[in-house]
Amino acid sequence: MRPRQVILGIVSMAVAFVIFVIPFLLVIFTAGKTAADASQIDFTPPVRWQFWQNLVDVVQTRDYQLLLAYWNSTVITVGAIAGLVIFGAMVGYVMQRRDTRLTRALYFVVLSGLMIPPAVVPTIWLLQEINLFKTLHGMILIQIAYGLGFTVLLYRSFIAAIPRDLDEAAIIDGGTPLQIFFRVILPLLKPVTVTIIVVQAIAIFNDFTHPLYYLPGAENVTVQITLYNFQSQFVSQLNLLFMNILLITIPPLLVFVFFNRQIVAGMTAGGVKG
Amino acid sequence: MQRRSPYPYWFLLPAGTIFAVFFLVPTVASFYFSLTYWDPFEARFAGFENYQQFFSEPFLARGVMNTLIFAVLTSGLKTVLGLLLAVLLTSGLLGQSLLRSVVFFPVLVSTIGVGLLFQELMHPTEGAINVALEAVGIDGPGWLTNPSLALVSVALVDVWRGVGLATLIYIAGLATISPDYYEAARIDGATRWQQFWRVTVPLVRPATTTVIILSLIGGLRLFDLIWAMTRGGPGFASDVLASVIYKQYQAGFWGLSTAGNVILFLLIALLIVPLALHLNRREADL
Amino acid sequence: MSDVVLKGLRKSFGALEVIKGVDLHVASGEFCVFVGPSGCGKSTLLRMISGLEEQTSGMIEIGGRDVSRAEPKDRGIAMVFQSYALYPHLTVRENIGFGLSLARRPKAEIAEKVAEVARVLQLEDYLDRKPKALSGGQRQRVAIGRSIIRDPQVFLFDEPLSNLDAALRAQMRIELTELHARLGTTMIYVTHDQVEAMTMADKIVVLNGGRIEQVGAPMDLYDNPATPFVAGFIGSPKMNLYEGETARALGAGSVYGIRPEHVTLSESGGLWTGTVRHVERLGADSIIHIEATGLGPLVARVEGHRAFAPGQIVHASPIDGREVRY
Ligand SMILES: Nc1ncnc2c1ncn2[C@@H]1O[C@H](COP(=O)(O)OP(=O)(O)OP(=O)(O)O)[C@@H](O)[C@H]1O
Ligand SMILES: [Mg+2]
Repeated sequence: MRPRQVILGIVSMAVAFVIFVIPFLLVIFTAGKTAADASQIDFTPPVRWQFWQNLVDVVQTRDYQLLLAYWNSTVITVGAIAGLVIFGAMVGYVMQRRDTRLTRALYFVVLSGLMIPPAVVPTIWLLQEINLFKTLHGMILIQIAYGLGFTVLLYRSFIAAIPRDLDEAAIIDGGTPLQIFFRVILPLLKPVTVTIIVVQAIAIFNDFTHPLYYLPGAENVTVQITLYNFQSQFVSQLNLLFMNILLITIPPLLVFVFFNRQIVAGMTAGGVKG
Repeated sequence: MQRRSPYPYWFLLPAGTIFAVFFLVPTVASFYFSLTYWDPFEARFAGFENYQQFFSEPFLARGVMNTLIFAVLTSGLKTVLGLLLAVLLTSGLLGQSLLRSVVFFPVLVSTIGVGLLFQELMHPTEGAINVALEAVGIDGPGWLTNPSLALVSVALVDVWRGVGLATLIYIAGLATISPDYYEAARIDGATRWQQFWRVTVPLVRPATTTVIILSLIGGLRLFDLIWAMTRGGPGFASDVLASVIYKQYQAGFWGLSTAGNVILFLLIALLIVPLALHLNRREADL
Repeated sequence: MSDVVLKGLRKSFGALEVIKGVDLHVASGEFCVFVGPSGCGKSTLLRMISGLEEQTSGMIEIGGRDVSRAEPKDRGIAMVFQSYALYPHLTVRENIGFGLSLARRPKAEIAEKVAEVARVLQLEDYLDRKPKALSGGQRQRVAIGRSIIRDPQVFLFDEPLSNLDAALRAQMRIELTELHARLGTTMIYVTHDQVEAMTMADKIVVLNGGRIEQVGAPMDLYDNPATPFVAGFIGSPKMNLYEGETARALGAGSVYGIRPEHVTLSESGGLWTGTVRHVERLGADSIIHIEATGLGPLVARVEGHRAFAPGQIVHASPIDGREVRY
């Protein structure tokens, strides 16, 4: 490394520290302060750390709403991802393997699904009509519908790299379409599947807008909604607000630490050929 | 007689049904509902009234303008900063991979969390930003309370949060440029500045296209950050289409809200489709 | 009884007709090789027999049974692909037993059959490896193992050796021929390599532009090519072929041909006179490229130690009875 690169690196890290790291440090520090200490946000460590107490306070707020929210968010995320992976891969597979007018038209439908914002109020009307408004099932189906575009495109481009010979060998071996898909194709899709799971899990877990519209009601709260709801309650208790922010930042942080590579792969693949 | 394909169309059915029911049906229905007086109790046909209202009521029209300003501003900043950061973070400087992670991490963090955090940081008197500015003798503005600044402040936070993704896409794009081009340019005596403009910028075009289009779509649709930071305020100063849609929905004006939705996706279609075609064609010409 | 009969077989992709009416009988137990230039439709024909591709019209019988519309798995065939098509996520053992496991056969039966096949192909030591950890020749054998275990009436091979290096290819040619002798099953083998065709086939089918040019035993095709195309395609180096006036002057209707190995060269006194342009020394023999007066380019193959130099004037003659005329 040349001196230039060292100097540039040190300067960059200093700038990045101020712009990107200090805000997160503020979150951590404030989350450990007493309410009085936290009333003005500044860049000082807590006078007295009461991290654990704040954590307990946040978790207990409104009758353990945060725990319920974690549960609901987990159910939605897991359900939606299971659907996205299996159904999305099936579509990507047929779309890549069969080049017909139908699949080509479908490609444009999928692309437009990536671009067009959902029509929220008509969706609410529809959910009410079919009794899925304010239900976790309804939310799962919605998240599947909204995540399919990204999932299908990613699978489709990955499946293009799996030689057709493999399907044909399985056809000759007497495999049914379902057997071929589940026993040959799906196992080979593991790397993209991990990417899709990670990227979509973060997106769905962090989603605020759609639960806000489609999942009102105290028993249906999701993690992002709780944070938003608690804001008014924590107005004079910034320590608790920031503890809450910290708590909902931890899952993506963990995912980031463990799946950095897959996230980068998914984000760039989704982008570059989007 | 046709033998059955090993890639049966019914594989499309589960996903197709979910997508059709929960996405396509409401989208198509929105065109009809946008032409009605629609509230939680009834829907009456009303022609283009909702649209007329949208463009005649200043606070609604403001939302349309703000949406465009916000999208163009954030997209432009993310594109420029993303490219510069990507070039910096591929130059082999000290701490390169650490820096990449630091820049990218906000992309993964809850938007609401970011919004609330910056709402506190941007507090006119007690916020950390103005406290810090005061320490160096600058009288910081009311980032979110000054009507002419609120939208820009939110846009800056959106750039803070999203520039990591643009950088990532640019880094992937830069990786596809063969070092031969730079070596050839060096042999021809090009300065670093010339290399950037004559080699990097043209050859990284596909990534530029992606970044512009993704960030424009994201900017046009953005709701959660604005809602967490200003709720469209002060007044209607930072209202965008997405927040107007939500407000009108909450107020029970479902038809008006849906008209806003239709305007939003017409805006996206009219902006993105020609842009994508244009950018892709220029790309194909290379 | 596992002969293969094709009747009036045609195939079009959209407006493009690729197979233009093929009639063929492959006898039970025969090793039949399809050869032809790239794009002539060999793979398409094979894939129609396998059922992977559906014919536009015509009929396919395997073992006396009309399988024209049958599913691939119901045709009693097995196929070895050029790429081997081994499942990368499965071990050799699982790859070989995959078909049986799809058919939900008992585990014990699968294990027993896999062991049997592995023994025949000497794959016992590799059963727990993934395909990635195998050499080209071993992968080839796994692919063959996967087809043997189905106990098919007919084996189909699509250029199975083209990914191997020359030495391994020669070895696998022998292994495949031995396998055929041992199993006695009908085999249909696609290649564009005429050495493979000549050395392995009982019967060669020469395809050109979607039609059969000629069917026959290897030496039949070599000695009596039915058309100028076959004459030019079979044999290496290629037969010298002359058309038009030149051919008519040599007593042919339209085309006259003579193989390089059937041209004798001498210092004096021959039918043709020419100048040596280029000499390729292969060791055992040499290929002499000559520019002959009144004839054009002429290639001759001579014993390796005979010395010719570019620029030298030579006399050449065809061996009697070895000329072909159309
Ligand atoms: N699925 C398809 N759609 C359209 N055309 C096809 C398709 N498959 C094959 N063809 C065309 O049919 C012709 C014959 O192809 P085929 O693969 O049978 O040739 P081949 O004799 O096996 O050639 P090679 O020796 O190169 O493998 C070619 O012109 C090819 O382009
Ligand atoms: Mg072929």
